[in-house]
Amino acid sequence: MKAAFTLAVLLLGECQGFGQTPDKAAATAAYDRANRLFIAHQYQECMNAVDEALRLDPNLVAALTLRAKLAMAANRYDLAKENLERAIAAEPASWYPRFLYGFQFYQQNEMPAAIASFEHALKLNPRAPEPTLYLGLADEALGRTDEALALYKRAVELEETSGKLRSETLLTYSRLLLLMGEFAECGRTIARAEKVDSASRDPHFEAARLAMKEGNPAHAAKEGEIALRLHEGDVTDRQVHFLLVQAFRASGQDADATRHAAKVHELDKGQKR
Amino acid sequence: MFGMATVIACGASDAAQGQIRFEEIARKAGLSFQLHNGAEGKLHQIELMLGGVAAFDFDNDGCVDLYFTNGATIPGLKKTGPEFYNRLYRNKCDGTFEDVTEKAGVAGEGYSMAVATADFDNDGRVDIFVAGVNRNILYRNLGGGRFVDITAKAGLSGVDPQLGKMWAVSAGWLDYDNDGWLDLFVSNYVAWDAASEPACGPKEGRFYCNPDAYSGLPNQLFHNNRDGTFTDVSRPSGIAAHIGKGMGVAFADFDHDGFTDIFVANDSVRSFLFHNQKDGTFREVGVETGVAFREDGAAIAGMGVDFRDFDNDGMPDLAVSGMINDGFLLFRNLPGRQLFEDFGQRSGLLRGTRQLTGWGLGMYDFDNDGWRDLFFAISHFPALDRYIGKSAAQPNRVFRNMNGKRFEDVSAGAGPDFQVAALHHGAAFADFDNDGRVDVAVTTLEGPVKLFHNITRAQHWLAVRLHGTRSNRQGLGAEVRVTLADGRTLQGHATTSVGYASSSEALVRFGLGDDATVSRIEVHWPGAGTQQLTNVKADRVIEIEEAGGPRP
Repeated sequence: MKAAFTLAVLLLGECQGFGQTPDKAAATAAYDRANRLFIAHQYQECMNAVDEALRLDPNLVAALTLRAKLAMAANRYDLAKENLERAIAAEPASWYPRFLYGFQFYQQNEMPAAIASFEHALKLNPRAPEPTLYLGLADEALGRTDEALALYKRAVELEETSGKLRSETLLTYSRLLLLMGEFAECGRTIARAEKVDSASRDPHFEAARLAMKEGNPAHAAKEGEIALRLHEGDVTDRQVHFLLVQAFRASGQDADATRHAAKVHELDKGQKR
Repeated sequence: MFGMATVIACGASDAAQGQIRFEEIARKAGLSFQLHNGAEGKLHQIELMLGGVAAFDFDNDGCVDLYFTNGATIPGLKKTGPEFYNRLYRNKCDGTFEDVTEKAGVAGEGYSMAVATADFDNDGRVDIFVAGVNRNILYRNLGGGRFVDITAKAGLSGVDPQLGKMWAVSAGWLDYDNDGWLDLFVSNYVAWDAASEPACGPKEGRFYCNPDAYSGLPNQLFHNNRDGTFTDVSRPSGIAAHIGKGMGVAFADFDHDGFTDIFVANDSVRSFLFHNQKDGTFREVGVETGVAFREDGAAIAGMGVDFRDFDNDGMPDLAVSGMINDGFLLFRNLPGRQLFEDFGQRSGLLRGTRQLTGWGLGMYDFDNDGWRDLFFAISHFPALDRYIGKSAAQPNRVFRNMNGKRFEDVSAGAGPDFQVAALHHGAAFADFDNDGRVDVAVTTLEGPVKLFHNITRAQHWLAVRLHGTRSNRQGLGAEVRVTLADGRTLQGHATTSVGYASSSEALVRFGLGDDATVSRIEVHWPGAGTQQLTNVKADRVIEIEEAGGPRP
């Protein structure tokens, strides 16, 4: 899940504004080119363009954050941190570099440092869904489930207000609701996620997990089968097949369970998705 | 009005009875053992994993003794001094222990991890198997407080013809073919060599590597040849076909087909359930039975395991400890289905343990109320403090079983030492003072042992000590069913393989609550007959010798 979030966060930043447009047109042009290359996954070319932008304007915050994101994509968190510290120094009132600074801590499981940065980012922009969601994730990782639940709910509201409600945020919320036994709210949240992203298998997988907890394996099997037919999302085939083994066995359909168990073994052998 | 008064009275009584309490008495009891891992700041993986402890009565005086495994230097993997000796402490039956290691000749060699105790040669004396990184040892108990290392003769050095000596983390004794002689299962972790230890984390803040940085290993099964030697049957039995990262191992006949099955908790890869096919082979059925992964399909960092019935439906269930943010697993065995239900969320255990890293564990009825509770030895991995925002040293936890439906964390009231943090690792369970309440010995990494003396309010209890004649001498694998006056039945089985790298007493224990007698005791000997006793008085250890002919 963390890997998928990483990509989402890294791409997300591309549509963020930073409040100030650098004066130096050439630097801006180089950054714009880098940004297009980043979205096109042409990372080496992107890196060259970012370097060019920063040569022309060493304090261009958009380029510094993009360089940090490239570094994170290459697992160079030391470089990411360095660039983000420069970005924060250049624009201390900008929430996005501060959020990314927390994000790189989060990615390295340094939760106390991540929380401090997310909280700072939220002070700078209380209506930003990203630090709200990630503050919740970090809180959950540290066992602060009530705080996490409130933050997830808030992140959903903020995304909805901005017209950018994401299935991933809803499912983050629903997973914690499931753990806490809040089945009714969990079900409603999963249904919303399905509406937001009907092509994703993830809401169906979560619906199947919920159905198992509610003692309805037949419905779990149905949702699991739907999830298998969809190819978008973070949930792996192995996860779905394993769930279907339980659902079919609990429904007394042992032949179907055996079929899915064989798939899990096949995937284990090939280490395929 | 009367009904209301009764409800209130019952509620109050339940609360009073409910508090499980321990006092930590290791020092008072003369237990001076300190676990040393030989760490010198190089972050070798083996430093993290040791701490096995065994509770067993080596001198048959009726008082349970303790054996502790210990580390060695790194990279030499040698016990260069007494600080690295494994230690045997004799219970003097007066509340204290004495160190008899050197007289007994069990100080060990190499980097020891785990211990498994059982009477492998059916001579009435419990023997010791030590599993480790570079050396496994079988000590035969000669009587008179002396042991002899018979590893080489027995063929239990653990050296695989293709893979060499593998790093063993746990081991356990079981009679998988019901021939009356105990066989040995060894759980191996990962391929490790000090010279090629990978470096993980940034240069300024290295940490211990994730298990992903190492290759997994197969486990091993050794068949007892009944003459003091063993045959490696890892491959023909099918056990070696499955590569994992083995940690704790536990045994139970999960489907009541008369043959003992094997569960192995794996670290960061799926767990194994080896279903005994009754012909000397095993089929791995973790996926089919629902115990390979957490219910969301995620593999957890499995550590310790216990395989006992928590909901009194007569079927052994599974509890598995894991790492922070995993949540510990609880699988409920559904009768007659060869299927387990992930009960972690419904029981509250998953949520209550998500912030914990658990090592040793045991499912025992600490308050003797008729429902088995859970004790976890807790600590995070050292050097992760800055990442998780809390110290690696943590207090232990005890969860009370609320009528087989829920587990409630009662650690806050379980005694002052449940507020004391340490790097708790192995745990062994036994009634060291014969008062009918299960006590716990816990090792701590680079620290002193702890002995948790159970001082929970007394309730009725019964312990069954089995003496196999056709079956193995200790009756390991035998199932015991106790029927109470109101018709309720409690189930247990004899095993010493409990938790992580450790070994516990072989007695089958039952908490009886208010029942001072049991209507019936049924013993189902492994692969053999059934015996019954009726109207048995509680609050004692009852000895049951197997009826019938001698073992082959």
